[in-house]
Amino acid sequence: MSEAARKIDYDAIWGEEEDLSVLTFNLNGETFAIEATVVQEILDLLPETHVPGSKPFVSSVINFRGKVIPLADIRLAFGMDATETTIDSRIVVIELDLDDEATLIGIRTDKVNEVTTLPRLASEPPPSVGMRWRADYISCLVKRGGEFIIVPNLHAIFSSQRDRTGTATAPN
Amino acid sequence: MSAKILTVDDSASIRLTTRVTLSNAGYAVTEAVDGLDGLNKLKAGEYDLVVTDLNMPNMDGLTMIRELRKLPAHTGVPVIFLTTESDGEIKAQAKAAGATGWLTKPFDPESLVKIAKKVLGK
Amino acid sequence: MNNPDPISVFRTEAAELLEQIESGLLDLTRSLEDRDQIDAVFRGLHTLKGSGAMFGFEALAAFTHHCETAFDRVRKGDVPATHELVSAVLSAQDHMRALLETPNGDHDAMSAALLDNLHRAVNGAGSPTPITTVIATNPVVEKAGGLREWRIRFSLPANAMANGTNPLGLLDEMRDLGDCRIIADTTKVPELATLDPRGIHLAWDVTLKTEKPRSDIEDVFIFVMDDMALEIMEVAVDPPATALVDMPVAKAVVVTEREAPAVQAANDSKQAKSAENVRVPAERLDEMMDRVGELVIAQSRLTQLAGTAADLGLRSVSEEIERLSGELRDTMMVLRMMPVASLFSRFRRLVHDLSRETGKEIELITEGESTEVDKTVIDRLADPLVHLVRNSIDHGLEQPEERLAAGKEAKGKVILSAHQTGGEVIITIKDDGRGINRERVRAKAEASGIIQPGATLTDQDLLQLIFQPGFSTAQTVTNLSGRGVGMDVVKKTVEALRGTIDITSKPGEGSTVALRIPLTLAIIEGLLVRVGQGCYVIPLSAVEECLELSLEDDLRSRGRSFISLRDSLVPFLRLRELFRTGTQPDPHQKVVVISTGSERVGLVVDQIIGDHQTVIKSMSKLHHDVVTFSGATILGDGSVALILDVTHLVAAGQQQEAQLRAAG
Repeated sequence: MSEAARKIDYDAIWGEEEDLSVLTFNLNGETFAIEATVVQEILDLLPETHVPGSKPFVSSVINFRGKVIPLADIRLAFGMDATETTIDSRIVVIELDLDDEATLIGIRTDKVNEVTTLPRLASEPPPSVGMRWRADYISCLVKRGGEFIIVPNLHAIFSSQRDRTGTATAPN
Repeated sequence: MSAKILTVDDSASIRLTTRVTLSNAGYAVTEAVDGLDGLNKLKAGEYDLVVTDLNMPNMDGLTMIRELRKLPAHTGVPVIFLTTESDGEIKAQAKAAGATGWLTKPFDPESLVKIAKKVLGK
Repeated sequence: MNNPDPISVFRTEAAELLEQIESGLLDLTRSLEDRDQIDAVFRGLHTLKGSGAMFGFEALAAFTHHCETAFDRVRKGDVPATHELVSAVLSAQDHMRALLETPNGDHDAMSAALLDNLHRAVNGAGSPTPITTVIATNPVVEKAGGLREWRIRFSLPANAMANGTNPLGLLDEMRDLGDCRIIADTTKVPELATLDPRGIHLAWDVTLKTEKPRSDIEDVFIFVMDDMALEIMEVAVDPPATALVDMPVAKAVVVTEREAPAVQAANDSKQAKSAENVRVPAERLDEMMDRVGELVIAQSRLTQLAGTAADLGLRSVSEEIERLSGELRDTMMVLRMMPVASLFSRFRRLVHDLSRETGKEIELITEGESTEVDKTVIDRLADPLVHLVRNSIDHGLEQPEERLAAGKEAKGKVILSAHQTGGEVIITIKDDGRGINRERVRAKAEASGIIQPGATLTDQDLLQLIFQPGFSTAQTVTNLSGRGVGMDVVKKTVEALRGTIDITSKPGEGSTVALRIPLTLAIIEGLLVRVGQGCYVIPLSAVEECLELSLEDDLRSRGRSFISLRDSLVPFLRLRELFRTGTQPDPHQKVVVISTGSERVGLVVDQIIGDHQTVIKSMSKLHHDVVTFSGATILGDGSVALILDVTHLVAAGQQQEAQLRAAG
């Protein structure tokens, strides 16, 4: 992704707003935040059904209120290792527009922290170099206390997962 | 030996349902397609029970049972009407002609078996 | 014993009856007074009604009932046989065919219109149409002069049901006599623990208003009178006619209507006439389908729980709910059915536009527009059909001068038709154009690397190449192509609907593309199996048989993965290996043989759990790459089971077979 494109993503998430309401959670010791508006529900761990032949990133499905939704581990998108579940593990259900269709996705988290407000002033676009992770998977980093909170670009993550499968619309 | 039942109906699907229902309950079932056919079969053989429709071509069920009761050998055979009619007058006529029971279509196959069992006493 | 299916026997019989009725009516148009024909038509209608009601064709039975009543009156000399009446019944008879063929279709408006017509014919033009009142089927109320009110109390011996007496039948017969209010006396019902569910513990208290004599009421009980308690008392003599509209009676009528199907149907028609349709936003229907799906799931949980519980009360409630949710589901399915007319209608404009764009003369013919399919199918097929029609016009049909030179009419035909066979609807797009040029298909496929140069292919395989991604035979890129979806997407869409796509083409004569789509998408009968730790559903419609995989067969077949089934060898797939469960095989593995048409494959599973009413949930977009599964469902315990994609597995099995044959 080009610098310009990342700038667009950065603007897309902040828009005209000065504050962003988010839900924060932990993954492998890092703090992540996703926009509160896309969060549908926070669930305790549920029985999972493994989908043979699927990518490890979305290797199972769960029953969310009578709907069968994929359970994603975004750790794997960031090249982190999958970890054992603990008593604090939760599933965050989000709703994302993929190809103009609202899609529910469950995301594994190690621990859900809080709904909070991130100020735009403390945020910055991801640096294009010097990062462990794919820069286009990150919308922005927000500095708080001594740490950076990562706001992942969920569209990029889930769209690219689909692109890789070859099912996304191919240009004619 | 299992009891012999004659089913008289001009509707093939009703005959089939009746036959399957009663033969599954262990009865030997013979079919007749109208009153005339029914009467001929009744004259030719011994039956323990007749299950008949009312409205049929060639000879209706009521005429068939009246003709049947005229034959000395067959005055006692029980007759159950299986019909869409539930008109009181016709029922009274049927009872007068010697009908034993009445089941209204559409019927529950289980009810048919129960009536047959009751009438046949087994 | 192998008996034919009574319903199919009935369908055949009904078709014959309708022919008899039709020919009787046609004879009557020549001689209206022909008694024999009047009797024959009456009997035909009578049998059709009785058997129809017996085999679940309620709409047909209710509708036919009115025609039968009309002919009964002719037979009894109440009304004359007129040309108007005969032709009214003739058109009604055509409608009966429709009710027979698509019993679940939306026929209410048509039924109402035809019955209106019939009643006008019976009563003479200009008179009010009795169909709009319940009184039509209940002539008792017409004359208020002799109306009397009766109080009837009766109870049946406890064993009456065991002897085949149906108390509901008795109640129905009393309702036929007049307005009646029925109260069940439950005071004699014992405690649940001591209740014999087969016994009758109720007594009934009936208030009946009728002008019929007492003997008619007694006749209701004529065949059970000997061993029952029956009390018939007259309450009031000759109430003034206005009493007919007092409140208690009006309420009683409501009860009567709800309980009596024939009256209900007449009433439905009446409502259909006053407000033909209720428009419901599609998403509410989808939402309701979801709820019904959840209900079916919750119900199967309840059934499981009740099955293991000793509580008889719980069991009976559970059975009741099972029945109700089943009926609700069926009703829901019918609600979702829409005629394909809504799909076809948009093509007139499209063809018109394309005709101008291409300079080709085109005639669009549509057939079977009343065929009904699930709403989702209509929604999803719209784009693919547009593409197929465009394709026929763009690639299939020739320019007028080319057609004339080939000895065809200048105007090309595109025929869009739909019809239903069994559980499938078949939609075909047929043109009388130049047909598919096989050589060009082959050249194109070789050029784009889809097939090896000189590869041997069957004709069907060759034609199917046009559904490969990125395939296009258009020589010149018109502005028709490149829009919307490609042929590969057409195929994918059809397969996602669990359908198949066939293509036939004759050079110079034209091409036909046939889409076969299952009627409903939301719920299927499934076979629940276990593989390793996981549960999976196999669509029951694809299952041919299940057998044990003996240890010897298992060991012997290690290398070749075939089992011999009677006289033929069937390739099989070990799902445990395919799914990489990492578990040991169950000592008593089973083989589930599935097929699509002539091709079969055996699936080795660890355990067959049983039948399962499967509410299909689609897989998320994130799992569209997983071709082994066509969807998922939720089991009684709330967990998710994946539904196997039969087409894919059979193909995989065939591929394995081909490889093994090549190797061996």
